[in-house]
Amino acid sequence: MAVNSIYSMVINYLISGSITPVVITTLIGKLAERTDTGGHSIFLGQVRADEINGKKVRAIEYSAYEAMVRVEADKIKDTILSEFTDTKSIDIVHSTGVVNAGEISLFVLVSARHRKQAIEACSKTVELIKSKLPIWKKEIFEDSSREWRQNISS
Amino acid sequence: MQVKVLFFGVLVEVTGSNCKFYSGAKSIGALKLMIQDEFPGIAHYNFCISLNNEIVNNDRNLKDGDEVALMPPFAGG
Repeated sequence: MAVNSIYSMVINYLISGSITPVVITTLIGKLAERTDTGGHSIFLGQVRADEINGKKVRAIEYSAYEAMVRVEADKIKDTILSEFTDTKSIDIVHSTGVVNAGEISLFVLVSARHRKQAIEACSKTVELIKSKLPIWKKEIFEDSSREWRQNISS
Repeated sequence: MQVKVLFFGVLVEVTGSNCKFYSGAKSIGALKLMIQDEFPGIAHYNFCISLNNEIVNNDRNLKDGDEVALMPPFAGG
């Protein structure tokens, strides 16, 4: 995958399918361009093989209201940058489509001058992503049956 | 006057559609009644409504070309 197309995911916030190790390492590698930051906090959301009513989750299928995701993710970044003034940049990438159990579906990278704000701002960014981004998930079980799922806390 | 209505999540299955066009509703509330008449099953689900990418209440007025979305509780991450 071309580096430029990986950077465009950060602008659009969405990627089709799982967030691969190449995408993750490319975005981490880009940090070398900065010299004004001293701490980076990364959150990776992974698809868990939950067992629900005796059936095991094989994958999750995400769908998104793409235009509104862009509007809301821009707002999340503005909120975090104004609340955590030591924070310099925020990258958010979320999957759409099918992501298998064990694969990564959410990438958040927050860069700040010092570690404390990087960690706190990253945590708050993840909370806002869960509550504000118009994204839905359907669990796909090993027997291929499917069920819509809502977020519960943490 | 025509507005575009997008359905997401479980509502795609309830309505059998991702997107439909509606004419004649002057407000979000009026549009909601129109959709509920067409798909009575929708009453069993929680959802919020956006107008041009902003979450709004029933009293907001509609104009030609608006984009409305019916969105069940979000489940990202």
